[in-house]
Amino acid sequence: MIKSAAKRFYLILIFILLYAPIVTLIVLSFNSSKTRAKWGGFAGKWYITLFQNQEIMNALYTTLIIALVSALIATIIGTAAAIGVQAMKPKFRTLTLGITNIPMLNADIVTGISLMLLFIAFRFSLGFKTILLAHITFNIPYVILSVLPKLKQTNKNVYEAALDLGASPVYAFFKVVFPDIMPGVFSGFLLAFTMSLDDFVITHFTKGPGVDTLSTKIYSEVRKGIKPEMYALSTIMFLTVLVLLMLVNTAPDKTDVLSSGQIEIKKKHKLSRFIFRKVVPTAIVIVIVAGGFFYGSHNSAAGKSQVIVYNWGEYINPDILTKFEKETGIHVVYEEYETNEIMYPKIQSGAIAYDVVCPSDYMVQRMIENNLLAEIDFDKVPNIKYIDKPYMDQARQYDPENKYSVPYLFGTVGILYNKTMVDEPVDSWGILWDKKYKDSILMQDSVRDTFGVTLKYLGYSLNSTDLDELEEAKKLLIEQKPLVQAYVIDQVRDKMIGNEAALGVIYSGEALYTQLENPNLEYVIPKEGSNLWIDSWVIPKNAEHKENAEKFINFLCRPDIAKMNYDYTTYSIPNSEGRKLIEDKALRDNRITFPEPEDLKNCETFKFLGDENDALYNRLWREVKSR
Amino acid sequence: MSNKLIDIVNITKSYDENIVLDQLNLYIRENEFLTLLGPSGCGKTTLLRILGGFEAPDSGDIIFDGKNINSLPPNRRQLNTVFQKYALFSHMTIAENIAFGLKIKGKTKGYIQDKIRYALKLVNLDGFENRTPDSLSGGQQQRIAIARAIVNEPKVLLLDEPLGALDLKLRQDMQYELIRLKNELGITFLYVTHDQEEALTMSDTIVVMNQGYVQQVGTPEDIYNEPQNAFVADFIGDSNILSATMVEDKVVKMLGAVWECVDVGFGKNKPVDAVIRPEDIDLVKPKKGIIQGVVTHIIFKGVHYEMEVLANNYELLVHSTDMFPVGTEVGIKVDPFDIQIMQKPESEDEEAAGIEE
Repeated sequence: MIKSAAKRFYLILIFILLYAPIVTLIVLSFNSSKTRAKWGGFAGKWYITLFQNQEIMNALYTTLIIALVSALIATIIGTAAAIGVQAMKPKFRTLTLGITNIPMLNADIVTGISLMLLFIAFRFSLGFKTILLAHITFNIPYVILSVLPKLKQTNKNVYEAALDLGASPVYAFFKVVFPDIMPGVFSGFLLAFTMSLDDFVITHFTKGPGVDTLSTKIYSEVRKGIKPEMYALSTIMFLTVLVLLMLVNTAPDKTDVLSSGQIEIKKKHKLSRFIFRKVVPTAIVIVIVAGGFFYGSHNSAAGKSQVIVYNWGEYINPDILTKFEKETGIHVVYEEYETNEIMYPKIQSGAIAYDVVCPSDYMVQRMIENNLLAEIDFDKVPNIKYIDKPYMDQARQYDPENKYSVPYLFGTVGILYNKTMVDEPVDSWGILWDKKYKDSILMQDSVRDTFGVTLKYLGYSLNSTDLDELEEAKKLLIEQKPLVQAYVIDQVRDKMIGNEAALGVIYSGEALYTQLENPNLEYVIPKEGSNLWIDSWVIPKNAEHKENAEKFINFLCRPDIAKMNYDYTTYSIPNSEGRKLIEDKALRDNRITFPEPEDLKNCETFKFLGDENDALYNRLWREVKSR
Repeated sequence: MSNKLIDIVNITKSYDENIVLDQLNLYIRENEFLTLLGPSGCGKTTLLRILGGFEAPDSGDIIFDGKNINSLPPNRRQLNTVFQKYALFSHMTIAENIAFGLKIKGKTKGYIQDKIRYALKLVNLDGFENRTPDSLSGGQQQRIAIARAIVNEPKVLLLDEPLGALDLKLRQDMQYELIRLKNELGITFLYVTHDQEEALTMSDTIVVMNQGYVQQVGTPEDIYNEPQNAFVADFIGDSNILSATMVEDKVVKMLGAVWECVDVGFGKNKPVDAVIRPEDIDLVKPKKGIIQGVVTHIIFKGVHYEMEVLANNYELLVHSTDMFPVGTEVGIKVDPFDIQIMQKPESEDEEAAGIEE
């Protein structure tokens, strides 16, 4: 009695552990409050807003159509392959099966990258087609695997009997063999459909701009912070997969009927046959047709001229894109990346012909050096006149003739200090070496930023590659180490707001935000100079819509547009006319956002130093950190 | 019996290195019940599959009704096969199964209906039209398989061990059923089995095969009473195969004694094999026998007793309706025409290939 109760308890415990995360998600999807910390009552509103979100609906349709088409094609190819494999001699059969199974066991990321490389090698431009091909590829083994056992069960004589009775091989196959293996084919199809629906990694590598499946969409949304709609969407996906799996497992199985032969099972058999013959195909057709109409009606612009934009995440006001489309009639295909290092190989590979990209200073230089950029025709970008001269001059550090890039947003690195803890005036990096502030100093946990600060303090260039200078900087950093409370990145902001430290190295964009939260904080660009970073628009050499790209850049240089962007991103705009449009005087005259030219006197932008020097920097940084 | 319907000329077939049929020649007459009999692996099923068109011979010709059908695919041959495992279409009803071939031939609905009813009646399964194969017993399924084949009115029906999966009683019933069917339909049956009793019961002609060679062709009586070699003798029924010496025509030396027989033409003092069927050995009083022996084993078999008799260091198998308890001393007599003399093969391969037609 106790034993069985314990057993049951154990079982329940396992189920709770297994399903707790999903249940949490489902519960939260019905939470009417936007934050997950608070229960605001039961509501289905996220499901409604979900279906009103055009992008998500597009992604949903793309997902379904890819899952459907790839599963269908994979089912046809896989079934044919299974028949071929079955007809092989045992030795070859084992070998072939082994080969077809490898992609299934292979890590998704390997499959994804190799497919991407293959597509690039064959000059396929990444997009809908390549996702479809990739999905077909990884789906085929699943179909083979579920069809083959059915084929093995099938009496070979049945096919021969049909031939014997006068059927042609094709007729015999469809009339006699196919009905026998049908359950296997169908569960193969469902399995392939589910796998395709489920896939993120392979899709991520093989997709192109403007095409998103639900999983990649969710991923990119999550980067910006999870919205409750995502809970709703994930819930729907979970339920869909659940239903599909249940269908796979209850697919009509002949052996069931054989073994029991009961009428009840016969009925079930008939019912599932009805589901498989009528309901499922109908549902598929409805999805394709309805989705097609929906998709078509919202993407009528897709066929027209377009511009493919590749930008940092959350780095533009979305209203600008709509406005641009409305004013020019050019459709914007918009794609985001997280770091320069993720963006660079994509451009270099040429897999996707992006029209306009927004790299940072040193990356612009690297792209110019590697001959990846096209010269911008400035006759087509008259609004370049709104970009302030100091920034065009700074840009010469990485684009010496101002031929390839147009500054977009910029910022500086400086010292954030707490006025209640630091009495003396702060104007030099030297204060970071002041023993008074032991354990109250926060440094950036990033090699170039930290070395840059130190090199500047020593009066050297922050792009120094001189070993002696670097060794000197290293020594200084080791000396400073006992004073440093922590090497962190994002936490500089939080710790400073929370009065946990007196001094910290920080980016100007974040400094502004900390001041709003804690008025005791002050930001300064030390007199020795600092890093001025500039992100600029460039046009890759392989851009297919160069003129549209120039129109897009020109549009962004317009003062009113620059101002819209400032409102959204709060990053500094190198556009005085735009700055004048900012309503709030305090913001307009904020010296953190809009430093005076004298503040920038000694500032430099980072340069790409080459792989060898990168390695040198990293080695020295490790030596500092390991002390 | 009329003219040749199928002529099998010099058929050779091998899988990888393994020769299954070697230069095989055989003909089948119209309206004949011919049985291919042999142990598994003797090539009988392969031969049937070549006739059905499911396998292509490496060399040789199949002449059907005067035409070479080597390259004709199975669906265009005028013969139908009944498979060992029935091979019914499980997702179709019985009626749909039977109608399969007729539909392909484009027969009218009425014709098909009539044929289904006729065929079901023929195999004693009236009213089974709407059943599914799964709901039928093995014997019923096999009869449906036969019905499905015969509605197409083939010239030849090929049957591949069709009764192999049935139990003994059912098998015997089906044997009579098949004979009746063959007589009613008047078509040629080519039957494959490894069961000698089945072959003896049903066939007009039996072809005994071993290792890809035809061993003997003849009526059931020929095959049983006058096996041409030790393999046939051993395979068909029980028999005593003894090493012997042909002293001269009609005189053979075996079991340490000299016996009178009816065979001639083996030469003088030649080693031969002698076959004696167990039921042909007469057990008599010790003094009345040509040699003497002791009963070492006895089993009651119903119709007769099966005994082992030790005589001159040979174990003889004897079937007799008289009972001799173990230990009884008996005399042994065999009538001259019950001794069958055969050439002695020198090796196993020669044994298989030894006597061709």
